[in-house]
Amino acid sequence: MLSRVLVALILLAGVSASPVAALDSKKIFQLNEERVFQIRVLNRETGKKSSIGSGFIVGDGSQMATNYHVIGQVILEPDVFYISYVGKNGREGELKLIGLDVAHDLALLRADEPIGEAIRMSPLPPRGAPIFAMGNPLDLGLSIAVGTNGGLLNQTDDSRILFSGSLNPGMSGGPTFNDQGEAIGINVATARNDISFIVPSRFLSDLIERATGGFSDSGDLKLEVARQVLAYETSYIEQLLANDWPDLDLRQFRLPGAISPTVRCWDNSAKLSAIARYKRYQIRCTNQNHVYLDEDNKFVGRLVYEYYWLESDELNAIQFYNLYQNLNKDQIESKVDRDIVSNFSCETWFIDVSGQEMKSNLCRREYVEYQGMSDVLFTAALTGHKNRGFFITLTMTGVDYASTLPLIQRFLEHSEWLP
Amino acid sequence: MAALILEISTRGLHRYQPLESEVTTIGRALDNDIILSDPTVAPHHLKIIRYGDDSVEIVNLAEVNPTRINKQKQASLVTGELPVNLEIGRVQARLLSRDYAVPPTRQLAGGNSPGHLFGHSYWTVILVLACLVIGGLEFYLNAYNSFKWSDLLKYVLRETVLTIGLFVIGLSILERLLVNRWEIRQMVTSISLVYLLYYFLAYLFEALDYLFSAGWPSTQFRFGWYLTLLPCAIALYLIHISHLKKSKSFVLAILIASPIAVPSIMQSSELRALLDDFSSSAKYQNSLSSLNLHLQERVSIETFIEQAQQLEAGEYAD
Repeated sequence: MLSRVLVALILLAGVSASPVAALDSKKIFQLNEERVFQIRVLNRETGKKSSIGSGFIVGDGSQMATNYHVIGQVILEPDVFYISYVGKNGREGELKLIGLDVAHDLALLRADEPIGEAIRMSPLPPRGAPIFAMGNPLDLGLSIAVGTNGGLLNQTDDSRILFSGSLNPGMSGGPTFNDQGEAIGINVATARNDISFIVPSRFLSDLIERATGGFSDSGDLKLEVARQVLAYETSYIEQLLANDWPDLDLRQFRLPGAISPTVRCWDNSAKLSAIARYKRYQIRCTNQNHVYLDEDNKFVGRLVYEYYWLESDELNAIQFYNLYQNLNKDQIESKVDRDIVSNFSCETWFIDVSGQEMKSNLCRREYVEYQGMSDVLFTAALTGHKNRGFFITLTMTGVDYASTLPLIQRFLEHSEWLP
Repeated sequence: MAALILEISTRGLHRYQPLESEVTTIGRALDNDIILSDPTVAPHHLKIIRYGDDSVEIVNLAEVNPTRINKQKQASLVTGELPVNLEIGRVQARLLSRDYAVPPTRQLAGGNSPGHLFGHSYWTVILVLACLVIGGLEFYLNAYNSFKWSDLLKYVLRETVLTIGLFVIGLSILERLLVNRWEIRQMVTSISLVYLLYYFLAYLFEALDYLFSAGWPSTQFRFGWYLTLLPCAIALYLIHISHLKKSKSFVLAILIASPIAVPSIMQSSELRALLDDFSSSAKYQNSLSSLNLHLQERVSIETFIEQAQQLEAGEYAD
């Protein structure tokens, strides 16, 4: 008898310890179709959609999560646009912005009354596990995309999950489920076929916890956006400075390599003509964790540094310097106008770097709408060598100017001339 | 009875007609003593009667476009004072006495002195050759790939010969229209001089950019060249080669320089920045020089960082 009881207990224990039966995409869709909505940004005058995305119920049932970039237009022109949701059977209502996490592209919205049952959130399942992204692709109605979890991407500062599935425009802000129907993240972006990105749900949980009652006006919103971006970027630069920087040798200079897991360095040497009388080597390093700012500015938080080495035994000094000067003209890649940023302010120095003289320029420009945010461009070109040239270009966008100086200093101090 | 001369001016060119008979008729009809083929001139426009007391009577005969005598419409004028200005339709004329003083003789540019740039054609050849050398040198100093003589020849033909040639042709035609003369040799000499001067100054001011670690020398040069030096060079040509009056020369110089200067200035980033007040590009000192002559001192990284903290914020455009 005892042995039968023991066997029964062992069996029960076995049942209770085994995973809950996995749900398929059909079941997940059915469970959540009334909890996932289309998020619309509408013009107050025309009542027509200006942009669309997806969102889902979280928190106390009256809150809805989406991407910041879905409702970014409202930040710029809150008097012109407002946010609304549309659900199954045409259920709709207006939403108010109550929380932002600009760095992770999240926004928290609130309806005037409860909308439904909140979706439960869960940590990331193991790599390779099936995950399901829901949303409203291309304004065609709610759908679900099946894919697998590719894991947290350290090159995005752990702020993105790789989703090996297909996300399409309009699905941004929708939930990504595990096979238990729990949200493990929020759809955010796609690179190309079946390479998409999800924001981990922990950032959304943090946002729900710290959400405020809302924002009083557009100035308030922009201040908050600027504050968050600057806080993120300053912390990012501090992380960069705290890292051990690997060396990278480029001919006669030892330089900082990829200074963070978020940075990737590529050989960017231009293919030269077979009859070129010089050699040119170029390495370009960029980070991957760009921050969406708004409809006009698109992305900030871009860190790019490039190294160019130029040498020739065939060109005379004047020929060499004509070529060298023509190459020394990098700019920040962005399409901006006077409504977005100020003009650049630049100054020139001749700096001693590892016993070598470098003609350096430091430029900054300020954002019109976002107080304290700047774009910074630094260049340093080796001088005094007849047929050897080298220059560094370092650019950063959407940063606190003062916070970039220690980074530039470390770059220069890390650079070593190899005789 | 003193002899009279009728000076008829057409497009800056004067024609002189002695009035020897007692009565001279002027008009478009072929039975006149002096025939003016201008359509604004009447068939019988006026007649000039000479008297024994050295006075002269001018009688208007035209109903359409009547003769203006000394800038006034009047049927006739008897006068002993010369010169008398006449407007016959749109033809300008003056009645002069034979002893009317002519302006002093203007010396040919360079005279016949072989040492003067405009004095002998070998100077023209030397200057043109210098331009070709400068054009070739420019190609050579920017030839980063393997050097080919055929490429150099093409470049010099396109950049130097064509540039100088077009200016010579264009400005010579203009000169012909203005003063009814061809001054091809002087024109080639002058344009070659201007071409050389431009290159010399452009390189000089570029070197100054590096010396001062600033962009103002080149900017000042570009504006100064198109707004001052080029019009002045043209005016000097018009005064000394074409022998036009100074005031007229400067006005013409501005008009001639404008089609060259205006597009060049309008395309300059400095003017666009002035007009638009906004640029998305950072205007930093990217000039580099093999001589590496600069007035700014070399600083340590720490000093640079210290000074960089004071870098002023960018100015917002209006």
